[in-house]
Amino acid sequence: MGLQISIRKSGDVTIVDLRGRSTIDDGESESLSNQLQKLVANGVRKLLLNLADLAKVDSSAVAIIVRTYVSLKREGGDLKLLSPSGLVLEVLTVFRLISTIPTFENEAEALASFQPRGYTATP
Amino acid sequence: MTTHCSDGAAPATEKTALVVESGRDIDELLTSVLASEGWTIQRVVDNQHLLALAGAKPFDLIVTGRKTHLAEDVELLRKIRNARPHVRLIILTDKFTPGDVIAAMREGAFSYFSAPFDASELAEMVRAAMAEPCWDDGIEVLSGTPEWISLTARCDLATADRLVQFLHGVRDPSIPEAEKDQVILAFREILINAMEHGGHFDASQHVEISFIRARRAIACRVKDPGKGFSLEELRHAAAGNSPGDLFSHATVRDEKGMRPGGFGILLAKKLVDELIYNEKGNEVVLVKYLDPPKTPMI
Repeated sequence: MGLQISIRKSGDVTIVDLRGRSTIDDGESESLSNQLQKLVANGVRKLLLNLADLAKVDSSAVAIIVRTYVSLKREGGDLKLLSPSGLVLEVLTVFRLISTIPTFENEAEALASFQPRGYTATP
Repeated sequence: MTTHCSDGAAPATEKTALVVESGRDIDELLTSVLASEGWTIQRVVDNQHLLALAGAKPFDLIVTGRKTHLAEDVELLRKIRNARPHVRLIILTDKFTPGDVIAAMREGAFSYFSAPFDASELAEMVRAAMAEPCWDDGIEVLSGTPEWISLTARCDLATADRLVQFLHGVRDPSIPEAEKDQVILAFREILINAMEHGGHFDASQHVEISFIRARRAIACRVKDPGKGFSLEELRHAAAGNSPGDLFSHATVRDEKGMRPGGFGILLAKKLVDELIYNEKGNEVVLVKYLDPPKTPMI
């Protein structure tokens, strides 16, 4: 398959791990879009998109990330990104999504960022 | 256009691939992809044995070995296609020249991978070759020199992917890989827009394409078969939003029941130096400027 999607939980944060490519081909982006919209519809409000193993994206993936970000914001939730690199990072940077959507290099830091400030260990 | 899909190869339940040995990693990858779909694999050590077998009976897919020169693989393809015009042949090679890629397209290779290449991309292309029902009128080279290639491409995603892979296979040392990747990504966005909005992914429609390699620039021209559009009226694309606004067009797309998208033109604009549409809006040229070549001091 072009895109493998796996979903796990860490406390109240839902982590979506993406591996492969998210492009318009073979319905990969459509499949990702459906999965993310289903999560939001089922009440997920803290979503971390792990892009570490995502090798390739096109504009369809950008549209899905933007749509999910807007949907979550509308519901009072949060979308954050983890470890984009290479071409994926370049595409997200081109659209200034990296400065709009909080992006982390480290999963523990990303998870901590979802918690209210008073509860985090970092100063 | 009449499309023939097979040369009398076996029905869907008995698919066979003919593969030239390329080394353990590639051989294992091909075995894994082909066997997972129940295909039988017949291996040979070189092109000579491949030609003998391919002449004797039809195969559903042929993959060449990395060790032969691309020009030899193209010659092999020409001979096989004389007898089996619809053969799907994927060329793998470590040895090539830019002009050979044009020949591979012209002779109707299904795809082409020049070293170094990404194994996962090869796996995807093999899957595409296994799945694609009718393919061999997808790309037609109308004219080709290393500086100027003109071709047509059928309006479907599989053909777009094949064409993009041919572009990735072009290795021109004077074009930095990062800039080449940007041009290819921008071209792919514009191509898919042309196929979707101009050709409605109708396989009877074709997009006209030219690639021009000037000394200090790369240019691509894409003309779709549609009626065109005006960028000013493009409310369903991010390119029509106010500067800095990434979201307004998404509402329009939701109202129209369109898939999430609309970022293709904007992405292409940001990856190349110029994106120029004609008056009608069905023809576009992308230009990427390159740093001047470093000439030795005399």
